[in-house]
Amino acid sequence: MRTTPLIGGAVAAVAALALAGCATGGTGGGDADSMDICYVTAAESHAYVTPANEAFDEAADEAGATVNRLSQEFDVQTGTDQLTTCVSQGADGIVLWPLDPQAYIPGMIAAQDAGIPLIIINSPMDAEAEEYYDSFTGPDVYEEGVLSADALDEVLGGTGNVVIIAGQAGNGTTIGRTDGFTERLAELGSEIEVLQVVNADFDQQKALEASRDLLTRFGDDIDGVYANDDTMALGFIDAWKESGRSLDALPPIVGINGQIQAFDLIKAGQYYATIVQSPAEDGKLAAETIIKLINGETVDKRLPIPLTVVTSDNVDSVDPAF
Amino acid sequence: MNAVRRAFDSDVFLGVVRYRVAIILVATIVVSASLVPGILEFRALSLSLDRISTTALVAVGLTVVLLAGKLDLSGGAILALSGITAIGLQEELGQVPAAVVGIGVGVLAGIVNGFLVVVLRINSLVATLASMLFFRALCHFITESRPFSGLDPLFGLVVSRPIEGTVTLRTIIFILLLVALHLWLTRAVAGRNLFAVGSNPVAAEASGIRANGYVFGTFVFAGTTAGAAGVIQSLSVNTGSPVFGESTSLLAIAAVVIGGTRLEGGRASALGTLGGLLVMAILTTAMEFSNVPAYIQNIVTGVILLLLILLDRFVSGKKGRNLSLTAFLRSVRRARRNPENERTHAP
Amino acid sequence: MNVSTATVPGGRIVRQSWASRYGATLAMPAGIVVLLVLGTVLSDRFLSVGNLTNVLINMSIVGIIVVGMTFVFVSRGMADLSVPATVAVGGILVLMLDDVIGTWPAALVGVLVASLAGVVNGVLVGYAGLNPVITTLASGIIVLGIAQAFVGGVIVYGQDAAAKDVLTGRLFGVVPVIVLIFLLVALLGHLALARSVFGRWTYAVGSNPHATEASAVPIRLVKAGAFVLTATLAGLSGVLLGISLQAARPEIGTGYEFDAITAVVVGGVSLLGGSGSIPRAIGGLLFVTLLNNILILQGVPSEPQGMVKGALIAGAVALDVYLRRRGGRE
Repeated sequence: MRTTPLIGGAVAAVAALALAGCATGGTGGGDADSMDICYVTAAESHAYVTPANEAFDEAADEAGATVNRLSQEFDVQTGTDQLTTCVSQGADGIVLWPLDPQAYIPGMIAAQDAGIPLIIINSPMDAEAEEYYDSFTGPDVYEEGVLSADALDEVLGGTGNVVIIAGQAGNGTTIGRTDGFTERLAELGSEIEVLQVVNADFDQQKALEASRDLLTRFGDDIDGVYANDDTMALGFIDAWKESGRSLDALPPIVGINGQIQAFDLIKAGQYYATIVQSPAEDGKLAAETIIKLINGETVDKRLPIPLTVVTSDNVDSVDPAF
Repeated sequence: MNAVRRAFDSDVFLGVVRYRVAIILVATIVVSASLVPGILEFRALSLSLDRISTTALVAVGLTVVLLAGKLDLSGGAILALSGITAIGLQEELGQVPAAVVGIGVGVLAGIVNGFLVVVLRINSLVATLASMLFFRALCHFITESRPFSGLDPLFGLVVSRPIEGTVTLRTIIFILLLVALHLWLTRAVAGRNLFAVGSNPVAAEASGIRANGYVFGTFVFAGTTAGAAGVIQSLSVNTGSPVFGESTSLLAIAAVVIGGTRLEGGRASALGTLGGLLVMAILTTAMEFSNVPAYIQNIVTGVILLLLILLDRFVSGKKGRNLSLTAFLRSVRRARRNPENERTHAP
Repeated sequence: MNVSTATVPGGRIVRQSWASRYGATLAMPAGIVVLLVLGTVLSDRFLSVGNLTNVLINMSIVGIIVVGMTFVFVSRGMADLSVPATVAVGGILVLMLDDVIGTWPAALVGVLVASLAGVVNGVLVGYAGLNPVITTLASGIIVLGIAQAFVGGVIVYGQDAAAKDVLTGRLFGVVPVIVLIFLLVALLGHLALARSVFGRWTYAVGSNPHATEASAVPIRLVKAGAFVLTATLAGLSGVLLGISLQAARPEIGTGYEFDAITAVVVGGVSLLGGSGSIPRAIGGLLFVTLLNNILILQGVPSEPQGMVKGALIAGAVALDVYLRRRGGRE
């Protein structure tokens, strides 16, 4: 049959493909006599998470610990499974980036039963989860929402229509930053009205698509924009340009993260404010904390990282986070 | 060139192809064990099985659907919908009744699929694509895109905690289901009828088998297993989420195909599906233990998949050759006795 | 292809009713008109130049992929699920290389590499005869994995804001460049499918593979060609997407394959091959995009729009099956 050599060739081609994949591939696991940290992170490629991961690795390296990093790729189900893997692997310490305020609790209980110290990084979890982790390192996301509300309220003079571009639905950071914002506005007695809240998963492209919809629906009625992070705010700006509107007519935008692009935009007058939150500090603090715990030291239950509000006033004197 | 062709035609090679699933499984185990020494420990194996149990439940249903010659892409969405129901109704109905209703949702979803494919005669790829989009959007609609939690995180530990230090409850559930399916496919008349429906629906109909009824039933079964998977998954994390199960359908299809079930219908094996699932389970656990990024695992899964269907194509082109182990041994003996005859076939 | 008579089982020749003869062809334009009316009634923002231009922009990226997917459908290639991977390849490569060799050469490289993936698909499906669904699924997973490994886990940023301005700009201040590119691709695709020899071969392969085998049509080449074309066009979409965002990650193409399939199916192109056309597929895309637009204007959030889409696909295909049977073609 003439197909035989063809199929044989195809098998060879697939094998070549496999080799190509392996060539670009990963490393075997290292074994250390010292500390094994299992780090369940949010993603492998994200503007904020990636520098946080790198800082984490650096700090762990310095202390002589090995890190086994598992990425949830923003999928909670994967994360809960990976947490179980960490526990079964017998890690010396677990660092978890929770994408959901509650779903990890069963896994955390298992970690506690196995006597493995566990901390959560960056995103808060519900009150019920508190007894199951040893420490929470990271920014105060609710506070960030509050600061953003102050900034937007100030620039809009207390009144106007805003849209909120929120992060991943159900994520503790999203909830904190959004609730902090809306509750602060109520506290201030502001007359700012929230037209709509959309979820863009902390992703620029999704924010672009969601912003297109917002602009379609509200167009020039939008007086201000609050984005849960700068990455998504960039998506809004992309949508604005795409719709043929002039950048000078952009409504004031408040974002969070303190990215370079946000800084440039503040200097150009197209962005109102951002809140600097250093991913490097986030990662570093988490690594240092878990290592302390593995070594038997006690740490505070809540270890915050500092926040700075940046507007055109101080944009030249502050460094961008990343 | 002739030597190459003869190599591909030899009984050894074809024997390898025939038992490819078992061979891939063994190869996976060997490679994983050499990369990760601890992988063959019982604890690691138990973890692998537990890890794959959600996908496994969906794969069981999918095996039956594929056997009938159809496709079902909506498993993941049904999973999420059932999970949301099981967690969401906990307050009103109590945990166990809510779980039962959750499975019921899966049954209903399967009925919808069956209706689309059998009654409206829509191609199953398109129909289950449509129902996938619909159910997924329904999940988002009900939950307003926010995951929510149930009453008690400890309740779900029942299914995901290893029993007496061995395997978890959900592992036992899917293994039992697979064994039951295997028995049904090989022993029950209805099971064998399904093979007939899958390979030649017209002929099956002509011999008195109600093909449409069978096809409808497979979709209902797939919906039920996806529903069960969703309920168990949501209970184990005490969360109902509109984004659960997004990769489950494709993983399940991969496992079933690796296990030798044909997409065109007429050939399936529950044990093959088990083999495919084990391959993926061990791969996942081994990769995670050794800090290998997820994309490498994806590449490996994709390659195995391609390899398997290529080899499968091979086997189908060699019908009529006796490829069993006994025939192979006979031919080896004959070749040893008559060294100048290189190729001999069993009669 | 119009027939004015039809055969029904039993062998009698009957006059077709007006509805069943033209139903299939007119349903789509009628549907679009209905949507336009509905949209205007429901929202005063709908019938504005700005809004309708936005609809066209939203359509453009998926539209380019739809052209390729139509070829796949017509040639009975089922579907090409490797689209997310080839889109990602295009987007990532163009941005990685834009400061090394310039944006437009980098775009070419991106499209070429994507088409290589298409060649692999084509060989496996067209020549080795593997099932296209699983094959493109697997190859997509592999290519995406290689892309992720290549990029090393970070987002690729572009260096060429000038190219972005060109692409996201408008000709004469009115017509968006990206829409022009899409229309050009659609036109070329339509000419290829409806007028060229390759197009005729594609229809032949899709409608009656056994009869075609006896003829001189190179079946395997045609089947492979559809996949090469889809991968190339998906690569092009990825390149355009990457340039217009100046940022790309491997997940950039997620979901586009199902969007394309939805459009093609709603447009009435049959999964079983042998019928349909580019204008019909584009019509389907326009219908879906308009519907989305109307829902957005009404404030329906994005996710539940999927319910409508799902119901739409089911309805469209069911209608098509029904009309076919009434029209005497099964």
